[in-house]
Amino acid sequence: MAQEYLILNILLWIGFYLIVALSLNIEYGFGGIPNFGRALAVLMGAVAVGSLTNRILMLYFGIGGQIVEASGSIKTITNDLVAQNPAAGISLFIISIVVAAILGSLTGALFILPSAKLSEDYLAITLLSISEVVFMTTYYHPDIIGGYYGISVPNFFAFIPGEQRLLLFAVLSLFFAFLTYLFVNRILTSPYGRLLKAMREDETVVKTYGKDVMKIRIKTVAIGSGIAAVAGALYSMYAVNVIATNFSRVEWTFYPFLMILLGGLGNSRGVVAGVCAFVTARITLTTYKFEIAQAFNLPFDPVWLEYILFGLLMLLILVYRPEGIFKEKPIYTKPVKKVLKKEGVLK
Amino acid sequence: MKSPGNKILYTKNLSKFFEGLKALDRVNIAVEKNKVILIIGPNGSGKTTLINVISSFYEADGGQVFFEGEDITNLPPHEIYRRGIIRTFQIPHPLRKLSVMENMLIANDNPGESFIGSIGHSWMEREEELAEKAFNFLKFLKIDHLWDTQAYKLSGGQLKLLEIGRALMADAKLIIMDEPIAGVNPVLAHDILKRVTELKEEISFFIVEHRLDIVLKYVDYVYVMANGRIIAQGSEKDILSDKEVIEVYLGDTYAEA
Repeated sequence: MAQEYLILNILLWIGFYLIVALSLNIEYGFGGIPNFGRALAVLMGAVAVGSLTNRILMLYFGIGGQIVEASGSIKTITNDLVAQNPAAGISLFIISIVVAAILGSLTGALFILPSAKLSEDYLAITLLSISEVVFMTTYYHPDIIGGYYGISVPNFFAFIPGEQRLLLFAVLSLFFAFLTYLFVNRILTSPYGRLLKAMREDETVVKTYGKDVMKIRIKTVAIGSGIAAVAGALYSMYAVNVIATNFSRVEWTFYPFLMILLGGLGNSRGVVAGVCAFVTARITLTTYKFEIAQAFNLPFDPVWLEYILFGLLMLLILVYRPEGIFKEKPIYTKPVKKVLKKEGVLK
Repeated sequence: MKSPGNKILYTKNLSKFFEGLKALDRVNIAVEKNKVILIIGPNGSGKTTLINVISSFYEADGGQVFFEGEDITNLPPHEIYRRGIIRTFQIPHPLRKLSVMENMLIANDNPGESFIGSIGHSWMEREEELAEKAFNFLKFLKIDHLWDTQAYKLSGGQLKLLEIGRALMADAKLIIMDEPIAGVNPVLAHDILKRVTELKEEISFFIVEHRLDIVLKYVDYVYVMANGRIIAQGSEKDILSDKEVIEVYLGDTYAEA
């Protein structure tokens, strides 16, 4: 039982992180946009569920007052409704995902606007600060997602027995991760992916050949942020509770960066490998950290083990294998391969 | 002042200052349609600055640039490309981690380069057309065997060729080349320039180059720059016999000849 729980938990988080890491890979791995504000987009997914969906339900059920208090009653009413009517639950689930993707895209595009003209390092810092500001605001302002009280989210799958929730969400998160993978692969193994890589390598060249770098950046961040927000929405609906502190920069910005660096920038296979390796290691580590601390007789609180090891991992990757597990491959689309075969240089 | 008629590009008193230094001092040049125009001058005379101002990489401090009769001064670089001007760089700008073929394919428009376009299939036909064109240019430049090599692994001369290849990909009306044959072996250098003259039917060229022994016989008109000013212009013969030019630039080799 404990083992089953561990495996499902690993699968659940592989799903969440795959979505986020794939989105980050579009922006950073391909486009070279160091979006250190990834956590912001994920948080927007939570805001979509916790704030927008809740408010829609408040209006629908005619519940007044502050959203923090109202969310409790909404949860009770909606759970009862969904238990009777699964179709309503599934519709609410889909609406939440769509709202999250739209809100994520809009915020992404909006926040890259003032910073799109900055060079790489300044851009990274600016995006990190914007993300922190929004994080602080949502944590201290109770009207968005309940501030430091957090906010309740209805269980849109109340018709499914509680003991199968983890399994359900593991399947859902992997399903959305799979969709994301297909979508990301589709758009990146095309001239668009090639253009993003070109922009990462040298913006001057891209400008010389008539591409509007600013426009590409804004669009790309909008797409990436929209995808990342889906992960935030899924996670919130799984947790049936939203609180800003669950969307910290360490968990949703730095860890995804680490995963794509580990797997290899600029290729989706690498991202999958990086995410699987990282999540498995992390969850196993946090589950057994006391046992590990005892076995090795560690002189510090095992709580810190995670941070120490992942910091170390980051350094090791950057020093010994900066290209990651899988190296980036050139993008040759079908028509290009056809021509290369005709010329007899590609078998 | 004698200047060519039927001008595709011309500048009017174009000026650029760097903290008081007059990098360009009221420069008037003209590129005639379907001609190869050469600009020479000693190091630091302002040739590259002129290219950078024309292609909007630097903002002009005075004067204007006209292309096909329209004022294009200080338009954003991607707008300059839209009008049909492409420039190469003196120090090649390869997309380092991209392969030679990928580098070539970047150099023209493709509907698949937009996010929406990439989802469908509408770009495939265009992509094939571009790939064929790219490979033919690689063959001409004799770097087709390197198609799958990442650009950072190329030698200096090969990078020059890639830079030229990319420029040829762009379907430009005017190609501005900053020292296209510097570091290229003489046989290939002649090949490149021969091809340039073949392409004159469709494209006009504006070339900055130092290797006069190779380049002169391929060009139609020459400007000579020194200290940010045009000091002489004319045909190959006019230039080689101009006393001021010999003094500031050509030196002994040509004076004897």
